[in-house]
Amino acid sequence: MNAAMECERCESPLERGDLRCAVCGRQAPDTGQRDTALSIQVLRCGSCGAAVSYDATVGAPNCSFCDSVMHLEEIVDPVEQTEGFVPFRTSRESARARLKQWLGDQGFFRPSDLATRSRLESLKAIYWVAWVCDARALVTWAADSNEGSRRSAWAPHSGTVHLEFDDLLVSASRGLSEQEIHALARHYPVHAVAEEATGLADGEPVAVETFDVQRSQARRRIVSAIHRSAAAQVEAYHIPGVRFRKVHTSALLEGLDTRRLALPAWVFTYRYKDRLYRAVVSGEDAEGITGSVPFSYARLFLVIGIVGVVLLLILAAIAAA
Amino acid sequence: MDLPVTTLDESERKLLEIRCDDCGATLTLPAHRFAAICPYCASPSVVDRPAGEDSARRARPEFILGFVIDRKEAARRVQAFIGRSRLFAPTAVKHAKVSAVEGLYLPAWLYGSVAESQYQARIGENYTTTETYTTTDSKGNTTTRTRTVVKTEWRELSGTHATYVLDVLVTASQGLGNAELETIEPFDLRALRRYDAAVVSGWIAEEATLERDEGHRLARSEATSFVEGRIERFLPGDSSTLQSFRTTFSNEDTDLILLPIWVFAARYGTDGKTLRILINGQTGEIQGKLPRSPLKIAVGVLLLLAGLAVAAILAMTVLGVAL
Repeated sequence: MNAAMECERCESPLERGDLRCAVCGRQAPDTGQRDTALSIQVLRCGSCGAAVSYDATVGAPNCSFCDSVMHLEEIVDPVEQTEGFVPFRTSRESARARLKQWLGDQGFFRPSDLATRSRLESLKAIYWVAWVCDARALVTWAADSNEGSRRSAWAPHSGTVHLEFDDLLVSASRGLSEQEIHALARHYPVHAVAEEATGLADGEPVAVETFDVQRSQARRRIVSAIHRSAAAQVEAYHIPGVRFRKVHTSALLEGLDTRRLALPAWVFTYRYKDRLYRAVVSGEDAEGITGSVPFSYARLFLVIGIVGVVLLLILAAIAAA
Repeated sequence: MDLPVTTLDESERKLLEIRCDDCGATLTLPAHRFAAICPYCASPSVVDRPAGEDSARRARPEFILGFVIDRKEAARRVQAFIGRSRLFAPTAVKHAKVSAVEGLYLPAWLYGSVAESQYQARIGENYTTTETYTTTDSKGNTTTRTRTVVKTEWRELSGTHATYVLDVLVTASQGLGNAELETIEPFDLRALRRYDAAVVSGWIAEEATLERDEGHRLARSEATSFVEGRIERFLPGDSSTLQSFRTTFSNEDTDLILLPIWVFAARYGTDGKTLRILINGQTGEIQGKLPRSPLKIAVGVLLLLAGLAVAAILAMTVLGVAL
C-alpha cells in the first residue's frame, strides 16, 4: 500500500499525485512547497532568454521565438499497476478433476456422455486482474414494495443502513466475462498476497493479464460497482416485502481502500462433438467453477415426445370411454 | 524540448493591478501589459495601481484550469456568434474588432460538502379499477356500461437522503455575476491542476473580489437546489411531490480556483451600453446577449409595411385592370 495520507472528509486513502479525493471531492493536503500567491510572472525561456507565456494550444508555457515548451507539473493519471498476486492454491490435477466432476453433474438436459466424450483442448494457468475493495457506506434508500400495500399493488418505503464492504471484487479483466467473474467472485477469499507472480509447481508458464485503464476511469468503475452492490444488498435484505420496484439508493462512501490484484485461474477449453466450450476454475478455491456446457436437444425432444404421446393416450382413452 | 522554469529578476516580479470603477473587477496584469479599458465591461474608468497591500490579504488560489481555446479560435467564435444575429445588431457592434477578445482567469469558489436531508413527500401509487357508468345512445336508450380507469392512491413517505455534494462552482468576481458564469458552465474539472503561476504567465488574472463568506452563501444555495433535484429523482412511486426537506451540510470546504474564459466586451451608443460575450476557455461554449438596435428594428418594420402597401396597390391595380 503506497497510501500514506487519508482524505479528511471520508477517510479514503489518497494516492500520490491526487489533487482531490476520488470519492468525495475534498482537496488533498498540498505537500509541495509552492508559491501560491496570485502573481503574474514573466518567465524566461531557458534556451533563448525571451519572455514566454502559457500557450493554450500546447497546454504549457511556450516560447514563441525558439518554440521551446516548458515542462509543467503533469496531471497525474497513470495506468493502473498490479500491486500484488494471489498465489495458486489449487494444482493442475485438482482443477482437471473438478472439471470432470462438474461436467458429470450438469443435469438431465446435458448429453449423458459429456464427461466421457469431452476432449480437453487446452488448460492454461492465468492471472486475471481485479480491484479488491474495502469500504464503509451510509446508504439511504427509497423504494416501492408489495409490503403494506392497499388498493394499489405498491407501497412506498424508505430507510437508512450502514453497510461494510470487505474484499469486494471489481473486475478489470478483459479476458474473463462479467458472468464468469460474477459466478467465481465468492471463490476468491484472498488469503495471501505475494509481491511477485509465483510460478506453478510443474514449471509451466502462467499468463499474466495487466490493467489497461487509467486511474481516474478505474475509480469511476470501482465507485459505481460499490453503488450497484449496495443497491443489491438493500434490495436483498433491507426493503420489506418480496416484490420491489423503483429501488433508489444514495450513499456516502467512506474509507474506500482499493488493492490492485492479480487473481489465479485455470482456463479450460474442451471440445464436445466438434464444438469448443470454455470453463474457468478458481485458482484459489477449486470449488469455484463456471463455464459453458453443450445442451442436449435429443433429450429435450425426447421429453417433448413422451409428453405428447402420454397426452394422446389420455385423449384416446377419453374418446373410447 | 523541456525547459526548466528559470528564476525571475525581482524587477520582473512587479505586478500591475487595475480596478474598474464601473463593474468592480480587480485584475492583475502581466507587468509588460497596459490596460486602458476594463476587459469585462469595456469601461475606460480603470485605475492603475501597484499591487501589494490589498492583494496580500486576498484568498490564494488552490487550483487552476488551463486554457484550451486559443485567441484565434475565440475570435472566430465571437465573429460567428455576432454573425448569427447580424441584421438588427447596432453598427458599432457589427464593426467591433473581434480580435479585441481578451483571455482572462476568472476566480471562482469550488465548493464541496456532505449533505444529509430529512424529507417529507407524497407518493402516488397507481391502480386500475373498473367503474360503471350510464350513457344514452343515439336512439335515446339509457345503457349501463363498465370501463377500467387508472387511479392514484396517495401515501405519505418521510425519510433520509445522504449524498456528497461536489464540483459546485460559484463566481468569486464582482465583475462577472454567478448567473452569467452559469451560462458557460460546465468546466471539465478532471483537467484540474494545482495552482501554478506558470499557467497564468502572460494572461490577465482577476483577484477574488467576492469574499469567501459570500461565495459560501451562493454555493450553499446552489447545493440546496442540487440536493432538491436529487431527492425528487430519489422518490419512488408512479408520481410524487416533495413537500418539504431540510438539509444539513457538514464538512464543507470552499477552495479558490481560476477558470479560463474569453471575454469580448464592447460599448456602443451614446449612453454607454455594454455588450458582453463570454466563451468558456476550456470547452468553447459561447454565451452573450446581442443588443438589438431599436432604430434598425423600426426601419425594418417600416420597410415591411411599405412593402405590403406596395404589394396591395399593385394587386389592386392589376385586379382593377382585369375588371
